[in-house]
This record gives sequence, structure tokens and C-alpha cells, in this order.
Amino acid sequence: MEKYVGKDIPRNDGYDKATGRGLFTHDIFLPHMLYAKVLRSPYAHARVVSIDTSEAEKMKGVRAVCTFENTTSKLFNTSATMVTTNPGAEPVRDQTVFTGEPKYIGDEIAAVAADTEKIAEEAVKKIKVEYEELPYVLDPLEAIKEDAPDVQPELSHKKNICGEVIEINFGDVNKGFEDAEVVVDAFVKLPRVKQAQMETHAAVASYKSDGTLEVYSTTQTPHPTKMIIAYTFDLPESKVHVKNPPYVGGGFGVRIGISGKAEMIATALTMRAKRPVKFVYTRAEDFLYSDTRHGGYLKGRLGAKKDGTFVALDTTAWLNTGAYATFGVELLGVCGACGTAGTYHVPNLHYSGYPVYTNQETAGAFRGFGTPQGTFIVETLVDAMAKKLDMDPIELRKMNTMRETDDNWFPFSLGSIGVNECLDKAAAEIGWKEKRGKCKEGKIRRGVGIACGTHVSNAAPFCVDYNAVTLRIEQDGSMVVQSGIPEIGPGSTTALLQVTADEMGIDFDKITMQFGDTKAGPFDIGSHATRTLYTVSQVIDKAAKKLKADIFDYTAELMKMDREGMYMEGGEIISGDKKVALKDLAYEAHLRGKQFIESDSMVPPNSLPWYAQAAEVEVDMETGMVKVLKVAAAHDVGKAVNPRLAEGQIEGGVIQGVGYACREEMTYVDGKGFYNSGFHNYMLPTADDVPEVVSILVESKDPKGIYGIKGIGEVGVCPTAPAIVSAVEDATGIRFHEIPMTPGRVLKSIKEKEKENA
Amino acid sequence: MSEILKCIINDEEIEACVDPEMRLVDFIRERMHLTGTKIGCKKGECGACTIIMDGNAVNSCLLPVMRAEGTVIQTIEGVEKDGRLHVIQEEFINKGAIQCGFCTPGMIMSSKALLDKNPSPTTDEVKEALGGNICRCTGYKKIEEAVMSAAKRLREEA
Repeated sequence: MEKYVGKDIPRNDGYDKATGRGLFTHDIFLPHMLYAKVLRSPYAHARVVSIDTSEAEKMKGVRAVCTFENTTSKLFNTSATMVTTNPGAEPVRDQTVFTGEPKYIGDEIAAVAADTEKIAEEAVKKIKVEYEELPYVLDPLEAIKEDAPDVQPELSHKKNICGEVIEINFGDVNKGFEDAEVVVDAFVKLPRVKQAQMETHAAVASYKSDGTLEVYSTTQTPHPTKMIIAYTFDLPESKVHVKNPPYVGGGFGVRIGISGKAEMIATALTMRAKRPVKFVYTRAEDFLYSDTRHGGYLKGRLGAKKDGTFVALDTTAWLNTGAYATFGVELLGVCGACGTAGTYHVPNLHYSGYPVYTNQETAGAFRGFGTPQGTFIVETLVDAMAKKLDMDPIELRKMNTMRETDDNWFPFSLGSIGVNECLDKAAAEIGWKEKRGKCKEGKIRRGVGIACGTHVSNAAPFCVDYNAVTLRIEQDGSMVVQSGIPEIGPGSTTALLQVTADEMGIDFDKITMQFGDTKAGPFDIGSHATRTLYTVSQVIDKAAKKLKADIFDYTAELMKMDREGMYMEGGEIISGDKKVALKDLAYEAHLRGKQFIESDSMVPPNSLPWYAQAAEVEVDMETGMVKVLKVAAAHDVGKAVNPRLAEGQIEGGVIQGVGYACREEMTYVDGKGFYNSGFHNYMLPTADDVPEVVSILVESKDPKGIYGIKGIGEVGVCPTAPAIVSAVEDATGIRFHEIPMTPGRVLKSIKEKEKENA
Repeated sequence: MSEILKCIINDEEIEACVDPEMRLVDFIRERMHLTGTKIGCKKGECGACTIIMDGNAVNSCLLPVMRAEGTVIQTIEGVEKDGRLHVIQEEFINKGAIQCGFCTPGMIMSSKALLDKNPSPTTDEVKEALGGNICRCTGYKKIEEAVMSAAKRLREEA
């Protein structure tokens, strides 16, 4: 019987955060600390002919100037993939801390550390740089043409492709289309969107006289970040200490590895200045010079029998990864694996994913990691197929979604699949039967739509993914959980302690977690890939079993209690009619020179989190305004450890999906770079314009997860956009193959349709 | 160049020598060491730096420090009294209105400014009062629930 798992325990960092006492990287001020500012390229592609820093160096208060000339030119990758690419495959290392050949508007040329931010800013302006402009390319479909300018010629296996073209083959797709009786095609264009986490990238680095480097950081992955810094600056990993302070103001994937380049630049400067250096990205820098979601193009063809049975699916993605790979290769993999090939049982599949270099800001990880893009093309095809077959889109989906017994390409067992239950519950909540396909007339038209899919619960076995914890009983019987995992917002440290408390039989408030720090615990790959609760709960479970065995063995001998059938509950060790408080036992053990400590590590299995979301929209046919009225989000979470926290993940993800569908978009202006430098020109959803969101938790109890847990973190955003697009089609009869559906785009399409009909 | 600033912050009289070019948020964070007030954009667009000045929620990032002269200011650190959380803080924790926590102080200050003036807000009034505070984690639903629930509790306790 679970005492804590399944309960809405208020999060254990709530007090810290509600009082403003909890510290973030922005809040770190160290004695003797300097402030950094960066000089960036004004050109999309150029070569630095000359650089003169002498005027900057002469300024009072300037303590260090770093450029590509005096800083290591070792190649690295800001993303954690640099240290998590599977054995045998070579990670892409294509960036340097500063560059003499900038490849996008904003690429880092030099940086200054000074006594104040103002002095640093002035000094940056005094650095004289002469550039020679070089040809550039901005669009992924242009970039793969043979005559396009090269972005990373030494590192591209094919024209402007970073790493490799990802291929997934299952069955025989050509034969599948021969057998198909009905075929539909689609081509979609998706925007770049920004994570826009509330705390901008930041680092405070301090290189000490004993040769150690301490880095306060906004990273989602302290250990991999430590490895990337140590590798690039030739420091032993044991001397690099990376920590969150302990909180991180959101992430959504944008800092899996290095936060922009904050840790690298602060480290270069502190090693030169020998004083702590703080580098905080302005909001404009965060928007314009750090990873976005991948935008680009996807093409697809779906073949089915007349009864609706899918027989073949062929998809291709060309996504814009920008000037540097970061997660380009892996993300195109997930786009294919989960987004296009994961949801439906299709006996003949093919997918090609092209991660394309261009001379733009990098694209990297953002909640969903390729799954939203892949889901978008597949759900577009499925709706088109339903229309062509004149079938209900939900019925068509339900007959084709993956079943536990289906052959499939996944390199692990499927586990529980709650997708059809999600479809039914989302449909019921939105009022599908009453509302879908009803005659639409007049100025304001309403419609409903739906989309579904799956993702992963960690990165294994596609990437290196493992973690370790240390569990320790203190001398008074209270407990410490040590892990390198960070808390970036979801409430992981609360949910993990709920699991720990139940596993151990110790009260929740007697357990404390150290986290977000390379010194807090042994290696942990970090908070990403929807993995934190799923994977860390597994390794805690493994270590807890050993810890309990040790405690029970000791208790049996010392207290002369029967080891057989011994268990712990409410902080008491019980066997038959005898019991002893862990508090007393731990102290008795202490007096005899014994502390209970266990450490363990493991590679997690993987489980598929399923979902379906139904949306209701209202479209103003005169203004082109799409208003999302409601999203019913049904998610198969396996088991909700803390339902309220799980709902929070879904609600936040859905609203990001609403933005993706309706108005968020990074707009590039040739010669100037991206236009979206802040919240005034990148329109995020706000409290006064968000739709009603109803979260529905489906608990399919996954056979591999502890207590049946699956991942939850990323999936809220994955099906929202295609569900809304489907609802807009229901309302207007127009299927949008490009998002966001801004009033301008919607109005244009309405007018085109009116012309066609005239 | 410097000037003398006199104001009240969290019930304490403050007298400080300041650079008038400094923004109020920097004074609060770097001189008063009240780092609960956050900087999300420094352009008045996100509300992370919201404080209550003379009863109104304001973006402290937009204000030159001398605009605080003679005012009564409350920051997030002044909301908890005698070791007891304010009802709004409790409801933010209980209702799951907090995730990463970076927008939370600003959200709580905007909520408090609203409830101090209007103890019985409608949902629309809450949405409007929080319209200038961006949260990227929660989707706002649980924040609105927390504010409505706090309003109810405050009315009951009054």
C-alpha cells in the first residue's frame, strides 16, 4: 500500500520559491566578481581579417579580454550529445568558444570581463574588428543543393548535413504502397520557436588558485556540462565542479549541456582574469543566440486499405539545425522514431531525416525533441486519410494505433499502451460526437480536432543514458538521497522523494535530497528526454532494496529479530510482533561504527508515454483570428506519482503547443538576423488569453516503470498543434500545412478558398 | 554622481547613496541583497521584477532608482510576516502554482496588489491582473486557481 505515491504532496521547494529565498544562477554574487559581455558577429558568414582589442584592454576596470586568438580553439559541442553518443558513433564537435569565422549573426568573436556590466559593455564596443563577408545560406532546402555555400565543409558528410542522414526502415515501403488502395500525401512547413524559459542563460565561473574550477550554472545536466567544460579547457573532470544554485529558471531542453555558451565564456574569462566571472544572457541574447526548436519541412505519404488499415508510411524531414549541430542528429532521429514511426502500427515504414546546417542561430532541444514535428506530418496524413475514406478520424486512429502484440521497429518492448483510452477520453471531454463535422456558417465558426502520439521516457538505448544515486541513513534515522539530477521546475525532487519514502517505509518529511550538483552525487545524465522521474526512481529503487537488506541484516543480528518477513513502515523496522524505530537502530549502529549507505547505478529500460489531445477552436472568418477555446489533454502517464504535479506538466506543455499552433514564430530578416529579440515581438501566451485546459490522467501501469511510472515532462506539447490545426479544418474546411496560424495566414487561406469556390 | 535615496522597503526605513542611473531592480537585488525580485527581460515585458510600490504592482526594472524616493515598497521578502507565509504564498504552494519558481515572486506580488485592493475578484479580473506576468511552465491554470482560492480564504479569515 502506497502512502505517498499517488498523492498530491505539496512540492518540497515551494517554500523556497514562494518566499523568493531560493537561489538561481542570476542570484549568485561572489566576492571580487567580474561581469562579462560578448562581442558578436554582425554577419551571417564572414572571416575576421583583423581584430584589435588594445583600446578595450586599456580601459579602467577591464580585467580580461578573450578572443578566438587567445582562447582554446578546441572543437566541442554545446549539447550533451558530445558525451552521450553511443560507442562506435562519433559525436559532432563543430564549435569553438570564440571564432574567427562567424557562421551566423551573433556568433561569438570575443568577450570582456570587467568590474561592472557597464564597463564590460563599453569595452566590447572598443574592440575593432575587420570582417570579410562570405556567402551564406538560410533555408534547409536551399542548403542541400550542390551549389549552396558550405556552412561546415570539414564536418559535413553530405552537402551541409551534420553527422548523418537518419534512416529508419521497417518492412518494405515500396511493396506496401503497391498493396495500398488509398494513398494521401502532405508537405508541411514548421516554424522555429523559442523555449523562452524565464531565467536567461547564465553562469558564474570561478577558477581558483588550487587549479579547481567552480561553475554555478543554469544547465539541465550538471555532469555532462562538467565533462564538456573539462574536455574543452583541458582540465581534469575531478577539478571541475558544476552546480545549480540549486534552482534553474526553466529549461524545456534549451540547456541540455551548455547554457547557450554561458559556462564556456565565463570559464575562458575566469581562467584569464583569475577572478570569478558572471555572465548572464540578456533576454535578446537568449532569444537570438541560443538554440530554438528545429523548424523546416516534412513530407509524407500514407497508404491504406479501403477499410482504413494502414499499410505503408513514408516520411522525410529536412530540419534547420543552424550553424552548429548541437542536437541536430539525435533530434532528427527522435522525429522519425517517435514522431513518425511510433504511433501507428504500419507494417512498411520508411523515414529519412536530414539535419541541415544553415547560417542561422542554432536549433537544438525543445520539449518534445523532434516528436512534435514528426507527429505534425503524420497526424496531417491521418486526417487526410480519414477525409478521403470518409471515416471518423478517431475510429481510423484507434484501429491503427500500436498494440502491445504488434511487430514494431522499437528496440525495446512496448510495455503498456493507453493511447486508445486517451483518444476516447479526450474526445468525450471535448464533445466530439456532438461537435465534429457539424455544418459551419457565418462569421464566427467553431470546430473540434484531435491528435495523438507517443514519445520516450529517456534516451536509452538511442544515446548513453544512465545514472547513479547514493542513499544514506543519518545517525538519527533520517535519510539523504544524493543525485546529480537537477530540479528545473517539474517537481522531480518532490516526486522522487515520494517514491523513496514508499520504497523505504520512511516518512516523506524525514528525507532530504541533494541534487543539481556534480558533487551531490555520482554521474547522472541530467534532466531531459522525459526521463527524470522515470529513470531516477528506478535507480533509487535498486539502491533502496540493497539499503533495506543491509538495515534488516543488521537489525536481525543486533536486535535478535527474525530476518524473515522483516519490513519497514513509518520509520519502524517490523518483524513479527517485534519492532524497532529506525531512529534508535541508526544511533545504535552509529555507536558501533556503522552507517547505512548504498550506491548504485543503472541503464534504465524505456517506456512509451502515450497521449491524445482534442481541441476546440473558434475562427473569425473576417479577421482570421483563431481562438483556442479548450484543449482536453489525455495522457497515459503509467502511474501519476503526484497527480497535481503531473497535471502541471501537461498544462504547461499544452499552452506551449497552443503558442506553437497559433502565434509563436522566430522570423528571420535577411541581413539582420532573427527579428524576435524579446517578449514584445515574440508573442507568448499570457494569463489573459489562454484557453481552458482539462488534463486527464490515464494510468496504464507500465510493466517496466517503478509503480508503473512512465515519463511525462515533454509530452504535453507534442500533439497540441496538430489537434488545433485539425479543429481549424473542422471549423473552416481549410487544412493548414504551415503554422503558426496567424491571422494573416488564416485570412489569406480563407480568401484563396473563396476564390476557388467562386 | 550620486544621490541620497530615502524610502521604506519591507517596513524598514532605507537611506542609501545611489547612482541615479541605476534601475530600481538593481538597487533592490544588488544593494539591498533582496534577490527574490527577479530579472526576466529588463524591459518591462515579463513581470518577473514586480514589486508593490505605494500599493500598486510595478515593474521595478523600468524604474530609475530615484523614482522610489519617498515611497513605500514591498518585495517578495516582505510578504511573509513573523515567520508565517501569506495566504497567497500558501495557496501557490498548495495548488501547484509553482514550477521553476522564477516568475513566482512577481506573480505573487501582482496577485497581492490585486487582492489588497479587490478582495473578491472575478476570474477575468485575476487574468487581467496577471496579464503582464509571463510564466512559461504552468500554463497559468493553477496560478489562477491559487489566486482565487487565496481570495476566498482571505475573505473568510477577514
